[in-house]
Amino acid sequence: MSTVSEITKGAPLARPSAGVLRRWIGLAPFLLFAILFMILPAGSLFVGSFQDASGGFTLMNVAHLFRPSILRSYWLTIEVSLITAVAGGIFGFLLAYAVTMGGLPRTVRSLVTTFSGVASNFAGVPLAFAFIATMGRVGLITTLLKQFFGISLYDAGFNLYSLWGLVLVYLYFQLPLMVLIITPALDGMRREWREACENLGASRLQYWRHVALPILMPSLLSSVILLFGNAFGAYATAYALTGGFLNLVPIQIGAQMRGDVLHDPNLGYALALGMVAIMTLCILGYTALQKRASRWLS
Amino acid sequence: MRRRGTGSWIILALASFYFLIPLLATFLFSLRARRGTLSFLAWAHVFKDPLFSRTFLFSVEMALITIVVGLALLIPTALWVHLRAPRARALIEVLALLPFVIPPIVLVFGLIRTYSRPPIALVSSPILLIAGYVVISFPYMYRAIDTGLRSINLRSLTEAAQSLGASWRVTLFRVILPNIRASLLSAAFLTFAIVVGELTLAVMLAWPAFGPYMAQVGRDLAYEPAALAIISFLLTWGSLALIQLLSRGMRGAATPGGVH
Amino acid sequence: MRKILVSLLSILFLAGMVVAAGATGTQETTKAPLLTQAPANFDDLVAAAKKEGQLTLIACPRDWANYGEAIDTFASKYGIKVNDLNPDGGSGDELQAIDANKANMGPQAPDVIDVGFSFGPDAKAKGLIAPYKVRTWDTIPSSVKDADGYWYGDYYGALSFEVNLDVVKTPPLDWADLTAATYKGQIALCGDPRVSNQAIMSVAAAALANGGSFENAKPGVDFFSKLNAAGNFVPLIAKAGTIASGETPIVIQWDYLAMADRDKTDGNPSLGVIVPATGVVAGVYLQAVSAYAPHPNAARLWEEFMYSDEGQLIWLKGYAHPIRYNDLAARNVVPADLAAKLPPAAAYAKALFPTLTQQSAAKTFITANWDSIVGVDVKAKQ
Repeated sequence: MSTVSEITKGAPLARPSAGVLRRWIGLAPFLLFAILFMILPAGSLFVGSFQDASGGFTLMNVAHLFRPSILRSYWLTIEVSLITAVAGGIFGFLLAYAVTMGGLPRTVRSLVTTFSGVASNFAGVPLAFAFIATMGRVGLITTLLKQFFGISLYDAGFNLYSLWGLVLVYLYFQLPLMVLIITPALDGMRREWREACENLGASRLQYWRHVALPILMPSLLSSVILLFGNAFGAYATAYALTGGFLNLVPIQIGAQMRGDVLHDPNLGYALALGMVAIMTLCILGYTALQKRASRWLS
Repeated sequence: MRRRGTGSWIILALASFYFLIPLLATFLFSLRARRGTLSFLAWAHVFKDPLFSRTFLFSVEMALITIVVGLALLIPTALWVHLRAPRARALIEVLALLPFVIPPIVLVFGLIRTYSRPPIALVSSPILLIAGYVVISFPYMYRAIDTGLRSINLRSLTEAAQSLGASWRVTLFRVILPNIRASLLSAAFLTFAIVVGELTLAVMLAWPAFGPYMAQVGRDLAYEPAALAIISFLLTWGSLALIQLLSRGMRGAATPGGVH
Repeated sequence: MRKILVSLLSILFLAGMVVAAGATGTQETTKAPLLTQAPANFDDLVAAAKKEGQLTLIACPRDWANYGEAIDTFASKYGIKVNDLNPDGGSGDELQAIDANKANMGPQAPDVIDVGFSFGPDAKAKGLIAPYKVRTWDTIPSSVKDADGYWYGDYYGALSFEVNLDVVKTPPLDWADLTAATYKGQIALCGDPRVSNQAIMSVAAAALANGGSFENAKPGVDFFSKLNAAGNFVPLIAKAGTIASGETPIVIQWDYLAMADRDKTDGNPSLGVIVPATGVVAGVYLQAVSAYAPHPNAARLWEEFMYSDEGQLIWLKGYAHPIRYNDLAARNVVPADLAAKLPPAAAYAKALFPTLTQQSAAKTFITANWDSIVGVDVKAKQ
């Protein structure tokens, strides 16, 4: 812990400005790129959230964000994102575990990871249609169940075109994303640790509770926040599947900026800015959680 | 002690069921192009279209460039955050995950507005398209690399290498990167799939990419989109498998994730 | 430390926005529209357009009102390359595209736009379009054109039921029929009423058929709420695929799109197009030339072409009524076989064209109430 700790610990007390510069110089390329190609361009439009139709300054758009219907749609979007992030996290973790440490052949792992690469981006109209063709009213599974088992899914209360239907569809790209991100973390789990636990008489549950999960927790948390963000901004799949039935914020934004009916781009920018604010808060909350989770590791 | 993998096989079976059935349903639908019988008519239509291969190859090219640029940008950044500036983590995380909440339409129109003025007129250059692609792949790339770095004992490895006299370049290319090979692959896979399927940027910047082509087919026809969905799925899967094979040959690491 | 980081980020963000706003602000005041003076006569216009050599359209899908043939004919007739940008775009996309590309002369900047009725005045107010009166200006009905020549109707159609006849044995003939139990889980709109012009006009049409009007759209929203509660309504955006698969065998669409679909599927499945007996709504789309068009003369030539008899008949071939239809019919220019393919004129006799104020009234009510009456809070009885 020689040179590294000297830089991080010693510098701020002695010469703050030089220390900060040295610390941040390595981040300069990324920061520059982010500013040039993300913040500046998006920012030039986000300014519109504070403008009215004729270009004058106004806070009305931001005020509109607090209308009950819009607050409801923010909450709905957060709900959907949270559910799919956690569910995708859990199921993705299980699948990742199965292919890395679960005793399956090596080729299965390659198949699963490459498939996950494709499936993680299989979204929008093709995904919506795939599920409609499977679990829609005249879908493959629906008709098979009716023909061979006499079960009528839709009479029993199932409905693909609902919140839970959307969750089911979202999992198709959330789960593989989790698999891809968490697999390297699972690779880092040494077999020796588990063997040591068993030698000391710990049960499987104890191993997971006291050793494995705490080690993995930072990675698990960071993956779940990624899945959350992924679902939070998703537009195409939701629009294709629910046709506006579910009032999600990305759909509202699309309606204001791109549609043929409503046309208040400034409100759209304000809505997007609201999403940026929520996401930033979530990330800050997650970093705080992260600090606690990885404290004992460093 | 041998671990019986039955639980894992069950998980795999359930997952296969969930993931493959919708694809099967799409595939079966695509066979219904000719009334009354099953045929590959829709598939033939897709393959015969010259635009199909042209746009796919264009997007593959863009994807590969995006992967290279993105990795070159984000690997040093992630390393720096881990080793030198852990306090900057929150800022970098926010910036890296921000693309999730910037609607692609806002990003693309912002890019056009900012870079269409004569001093920096990048609008018609592929640089702008690639820059946009890199931005939207930020979250996935950064997260993959970050998780990978987190899973290896980065500090010890770097210090050990340096104390043995390795330069930074050697440490990076011969010690760190081979150990995070799995996460680099994940990053590459995710970016590849995103770029190949990306729609908004390519459409508004007027590039002949695969995403707009798929959207156009989806708009016009009934059975061809289903065929196209399956074809593009298989093609992308094949491309990823190819990337994985090539990377295995280059690195020579026997186990995924490198040394244990 | 967190506070410093957060404030740093906010400063960065705000700084970025301020700089960008400032930069684009100055750009807007110093840059004037590129539109040059229109050539005096038609031949000069053709020559100037040919010299420009390119035309960028936006949001003109090839199979929408036969745009494909219009584009191909124009391109081969004048040797001008036509670039079709963002065929799937909505009217909002089109206006945004003009706005973002003000300084851009490349193929990303649209030359002409084809937008919904209410977007014409909006675009004019924002200074995004430039006036141009085609030679046949006087034969365009005055109710669908801007007096100063900024925007002008191009074609119209009536809302109809597009029915998959393989699945639906007895198609509905009117709005009231849709509530029948036989159509359970079969009826869909082709968009979200807050986003899609067709969808919102469908709701307005339902209002007309149930004793309401454009100004009083509540009966329409109630009608769909009833359909939803009965389980007849599928809250899905219908596409060619979902109609063919039988998931949404009854869709409410513009008649020209439905008839184009019928030709395309060629019996697989067999599609029927029925204009309802009551509640017939006709919708007009508008053409306009972009004020920042990189190829202004090609844009004007395109308009001249589409408003000539030849161009108007191309739209008619796509089953859309061109805006000068009455004039064409009066001069007996419409080929008999083409006229025969359209639905009977009687169906259009009852068609109501909403004015801008009527559209606005319907829009305000429906978009505000759609969610509460038909939204996720309402459980559809399965």
